[in-house]
Amino acid sequence: MRKIKIKSISIAILSIALLIGSCTKDILEEETRGVFTPDFFQTELGVEGGLTYLYEHLRYLYGQAYYYNSLETGTDEYAFAQSADNNFKDADLSGEGQIIPDTYTTSIAWNTCFPAINTASGIIENAAAVGLDDSVIAEARFFRAFYYFLLVQTYGGVPLDLGSGELAFNNSAVRASVRNTVPEVYTKAIFPDLIDAVNNLPDSPRLTGSATKNVARLHLAKAYLTYAWWLENPNNIPTYPDTNRTDPDGNGATYYYQQAYNLAVEGIDNPGPYKLLDYFYDVHEGSNDRHSEMMLYADRTEESEIYNEASLGWSSTGGSANTAAWMVTSNYTSISVDGTSAVLREAAQSYGRPWTRMAPTINVFEETFAEKELDSRYDGTFVTSYRGNWHKGGDTTPTLTAANGMQIAPGDAVMTFLDEYDPSVDYSVNGGNLGGGEVAGRSDYVINLNEINRRFYPGLWKIGTYRTDHDVATELGSPNGAITRPFPIAKFSEFYLVAAEAAVKGASGSYTARDLINVIRARAGKWRFDNGEQVERIEDNSAAMVAATPNVIDIDYVLAERSREYFGEGIRWFDLVRTQKWAEYAASYEIAGNDASDHSPVTTTRTIQPFHYLRPIPQSQIDGLDMTDAEKTAYQNPGY
Amino acid sequence: MMNAAQVTQLRADVAANNGGTPLYAIGGDEDLANDTDWQDLLFGTGLQTSHDVSVQGGTEKGTYNIGMGYFKETSVIPGDSFQRYSIRAQVDQEVGELFRFGINSVTNFNKTSSIVGIYDALAASPLLSPYDDTGNFLESVRLQTIADDSWIPTRNELSRIGDGKKNEELDFGTYNNIYGEVKIPWVEGLKYRINVGLNFRSSRDGNFTGEGVFSYNESNPSSASYGTSITRDYIIENQLLFDRTFADKHRVNFVGLFSSQETNYDSSYLQVRNIPDENSLWYNLDSALSEDITNYKTDYSATGLLSYMARVMYQYDDRYLITGTLRSDGSSRLAKGHEWVTYPAVSVGWNIANESFMETQESINQLKIRIGYGETSNQAIDPYSTQGRLSTVNYNYGSTFATGYYVSELPNSKLGWEFSQTFNYGLDFGLFNNRLSGTVEYYVTKTNDILYDLSLPASSGVSSVTSNIGETENKGIEVALNATILDNPDGLTWDAGINLYSNKNKIVSLATGEDENVGQLWFVGSPINVIYDYERLGLWNESDPDFQYLQDYEPGGNVGMVKVKYTGDYNADGSPTRSINSDDRVIQDPTPDFQGGFNTRLAYKDIDLSMVGTFQSGGTIVSTLHSSNGYVNLLTGRRNNVDVDYWTPENTNARYPAPGGIQSGDNPKYGSTLGYFDGSYLKIRAITLGYNFNQKFIKDIGVQRLRIYATAQNPFVMFSSFNRESGLDPETNSGVDSNGNRQNVAVNTTNISDGIPTVGANAPTTRNYMIGLNITF
Repeated sequence: MRKIKIKSISIAILSIALLIGSCTKDILEEETRGVFTPDFFQTELGVEGGLTYLYEHLRYLYGQAYYYNSLETGTDEYAFAQSADNNFKDADLSGEGQIIPDTYTTSIAWNTCFPAINTASGIIENAAAVGLDDSVIAEARFFRAFYYFLLVQTYGGVPLDLGSGELAFNNSAVRASVRNTVPEVYTKAIFPDLIDAVNNLPDSPRLTGSATKNVARLHLAKAYLTYAWWLENPNNIPTYPDTNRTDPDGNGATYYYQQAYNLAVEGIDNPGPYKLLDYFYDVHEGSNDRHSEMMLYADRTEESEIYNEASLGWSSTGGSANTAAWMVTSNYTSISVDGTSAVLREAAQSYGRPWTRMAPTINVFEETFAEKELDSRYDGTFVTSYRGNWHKGGDTTPTLTAANGMQIAPGDAVMTFLDEYDPSVDYSVNGGNLGGGEVAGRSDYVINLNEINRRFYPGLWKIGTYRTDHDVATELGSPNGAITRPFPIAKFSEFYLVAAEAAVKGASGSYTARDLINVIRARAGKWRFDNGEQVERIEDNSAAMVAATPNVIDIDYVLAERSREYFGEGIRWFDLVRTQKWAEYAASYEIAGNDASDHSPVTTTRTIQPFHYLRPIPQSQIDGLDMTDAEKTAYQNPGY
Repeated sequence: MMNAAQVTQLRADVAANNGGTPLYAIGGDEDLANDTDWQDLLFGTGLQTSHDVSVQGGTEKGTYNIGMGYFKETSVIPGDSFQRYSIRAQVDQEVGELFRFGINSVTNFNKTSSIVGIYDALAASPLLSPYDDTGNFLESVRLQTIADDSWIPTRNELSRIGDGKKNEELDFGTYNNIYGEVKIPWVEGLKYRINVGLNFRSSRDGNFTGEGVFSYNESNPSSASYGTSITRDYIIENQLLFDRTFADKHRVNFVGLFSSQETNYDSSYLQVRNIPDENSLWYNLDSALSEDITNYKTDYSATGLLSYMARVMYQYDDRYLITGTLRSDGSSRLAKGHEWVTYPAVSVGWNIANESFMETQESINQLKIRIGYGETSNQAIDPYSTQGRLSTVNYNYGSTFATGYYVSELPNSKLGWEFSQTFNYGLDFGLFNNRLSGTVEYYVTKTNDILYDLSLPASSGVSSVTSNIGETENKGIEVALNATILDNPDGLTWDAGINLYSNKNKIVSLATGEDENVGQLWFVGSPINVIYDYERLGLWNESDPDFQYLQDYEPGGNVGMVKVKYTGDYNADGSPTRSINSDDRVIQDPTPDFQGGFNTRLAYKDIDLSMVGTFQSGGTIVSTLHSSNGYVNLLTGRRNNVDVDYWTPENTNARYPAPGGIQSGDNPKYGSTLGYFDGSYLKIRAITLGYNFNQKFIKDIGVQRLRIYATAQNPFVMFSSFNRESGLDPETNSGVDSNGNRQNVAVNTTNISDGIPTVGANAPTTRNYMIGLNITF
């Protein structure tokens, strides 16, 4: 008995020993199953996935609240609001903060663009090897240029060699970096890539919202225009790294203005699947998203949280989440009427989640949007009336007693910003508990637009929340989820404004600047719905709008028109920097203080210096470099 | 945290610094009549239970020991619990003259639950009330302040919700070691031994949150997740052992080893929302719509390690000892061609007490000197690191969903072993019949080719690469003393022990040749774990001689803001040439001067009293509750605030800045510096009072030993300025995991190395009282 046992154990030992001999060879071999290695990039699926990444990466910029802030706060469109933290006060440059290398908001573009540029280079190198079509390479080249264009406008010259050679896919761990000059970035990277993209991209998108020939053409036109301004340098704004304002190809600003004009007109004459919509209102109406005027956008979806990459229920801000509109939405939920919270947080385009971080200045309403009756763009841009929705929160009270003792029902205006100044507004009633005033005969509380403060001001309707996953008539939905709408990047209308700007700068051709501007203005005169009043409004003021266009269009007029068309879309800072008008336009602004009942505007001045036209290189970049202190200092833009 | 009056005062003080308007006025559901202590409404009483039973026995040829145990702990946070069931078995059996077999097996089954964090209770405004107008507890505590909509956890609500919020993690682990040994009959002292280790761990984690549960939004969709993982390890060790003493004085011991081990891990995870029937918890995820899948994942990894080792030990006459070791390891984690490393170790010892000239020394029982040099190695990096990594993202083209890829980690084809060279010197002694014994040890360790995830600058287009980054040095001394001060078996005995240790770490060089890598917080000459931040000097006051330059130092700054050290140049008039910026960050070493522990035991007849303690001198405690990222020291009145001594015009000598002054994000500027405290403390971990029954009747009923005891855990802390200010335990409650990543993410990692543990908003250390019973039959 015992003997048998011993034997069986020794056999067991023997067999284990044999087992060792057989398995030792491969236990040091790694088999990757749960992860992808960079080798996967050399397959067709890998390359296509790389392209998807280039689109997905747009989300980290377009709709990203802090990046958005850096392009709006401190311009003539926005100032910091009551709940602003330093991210907003720094950007405002009005003495309560400053932009330094540590500033988070100005670091976002730098930290976001390079991974995309590198991935684009990887696709360009690998796509041909796996036999993919030229149009695939063209799509990657479009994006490499797109991201470089963003960088060069934001920081000046940036490195073309990420570690493995100029415009090559970087697979080295090099921690040194050399910045190229602005003309090098344009002429070596942006222009050749975009010319290739114009030549090889298809007329119609491969997938909803993907890049096409005309998308590339619009960006090439903008790049030419921006480079022309840089060459001309009318206000003597410094560039860095230092370089002469001469084009390596020997062309002058005039040549590039003309190129910009030609490309833009080519885009207008060969629209492909794109066109101007009939009504400005429809350009931003949520149910109409991904329409034929919108050429490029960072898409989002309410259909899947995984593919939306941000919570549909309760989202944080930053990262890839689209929460830009939250920043410019003042806290309307503290409106209290008759002891009731009358305007609840709702997942609807006029409402959404209120962060009160950025406020439009009074100048916006007095100057840029002075015309509010003929031109539909004021009405199609802002939220000007906050309406009762307490019934959607489960409160069955049929009416509340509001201004002048009058009754309001759900859907009625509770607080309204007046299109026209009314000197009789009596603010002493502190209407809605949010500083509203009374005027005779009105049941809603009202505020004059030239008496707004940093606490309560018109919201930005055009990029607001839009959700269809609840009963919009009876429920509030999920207002705290990240916004699921695509965030606009480029629209067909911009061809007209780019061409007009080039024409103002001397370019010529089949259309004058006035012709081009008038296409946009005529469309702006067409109404089909009154957003403030929430009623149908069929009106065609095109003729009046065109009649009001000045005979001679100058750059100021183009810029004003651009603000009316693209207000609050994260474009303004680039416009003012390109045209070197930032310090002039944004030198001061008017708005009242932090208290809702404060209706006495004060003027705030900003200190915008020439060096501010380039953002600081982020401190994290400088810290991560393996270079001498002198080289690191030289890497930073002057002034920071 | 603050009470209602304090929060109200805080808001008034914020207003005073903002032209009379508070940043966050009273609003929403707040009412001055309320003064709610939300922590009191949340925390309950924790309970700990532990039972152990074991049976052992044996004969000349074999022994066995079998036992089982049960442990249960519920924390002061409702719903937090941990249970462990364990079975142990150990059998050793000699078979015949030559063979010996054994098994050692431990099997555990754990059940863990955690359903709510404490942050919402800490941050809730005391001006809110959990009661409705009629004084009844709100069905669900959903309340608004002017800036936040919040749901606040309370015991009442947690018990009402029941299965509406559930977490259950089940972990099963079995660890088995089987060995067989055979004496080689024709060589005296030679044995062959095989060890086979077989471990298996599996885990399952289920989470469920009902619609609107734990959310301000009543219609917040329900969600549920289910995750499992399996880890399998085996190790096979073949050993040749030789141990023989020649001519009574020459003892030779040899060990030869060849081992191979492999670990396999795989896991799966599924998370969905909108569960149709909440009763199903996480057991019916397929009942949700496929578009409601919010996360899904499977994963796999495997690692292997091969080792050869030979060790020879020679001892002469119990006086001189020399050991030599050579070891060779191969790891799958490292790059091709760099998998293998070979390293030696040598040590010598001299047992002075056994020398003839010491025989007359009655008082010295033991005296031994040891000197050693050894190399060890480390491969602690994630598997597949050498191959680089492609990360995935998700995107939608309208309604077309797609997955994207990008290179997030570069491959490193040169990645090799990290290895350390240690010199150590030791002294062991025992005096006066070993009533005083101790050890003194000094070591110097040089670690080369440290393995680390190296971040690349953004301009490289790739975020990181795992690298051999440089060289560090650790120097340390460890002292342990144990004494029997009184020794009277019939009366009073008193034992005491103390240990002290001190370790100094520094980076000797970086692989790139640079002196510092600021992005990674590596500075040659400083420890690998540092705080690199502004140095807080105090607060800006009008009486400061440099106050006139406040706006030069701090554009937009205000009186009462945190004042940090300026390291730049000055103009002729004494004003700074620049404002304070990132160049002013300085390296701060959080390493304690020394640390240690002590224990003491007093016994009188059958009664004994023992105490265990721990202490630290110097160093820095990082409290995330007080620094920016904890979000409970905002000093804006937005949420409840840690009750801190902040600046007001009347209280200019405070530690914390003027509320509502210059901000960085939602926090005071330089808020990170507010979390650094002097690390010195002395803490009593446990005091135990026990009684051993020695009465005759005990023996009569068959009990060999019966002991009853009472323990107080964590009774008090002394000499800690952090504890004095906050009342919190200075021992860190957020550790660092085995990969060196901090578990508490609420730390600004651009300022603080990942390897620094913190005190944060986790379950706090609690004072426990226990009674226990030991019975041996």
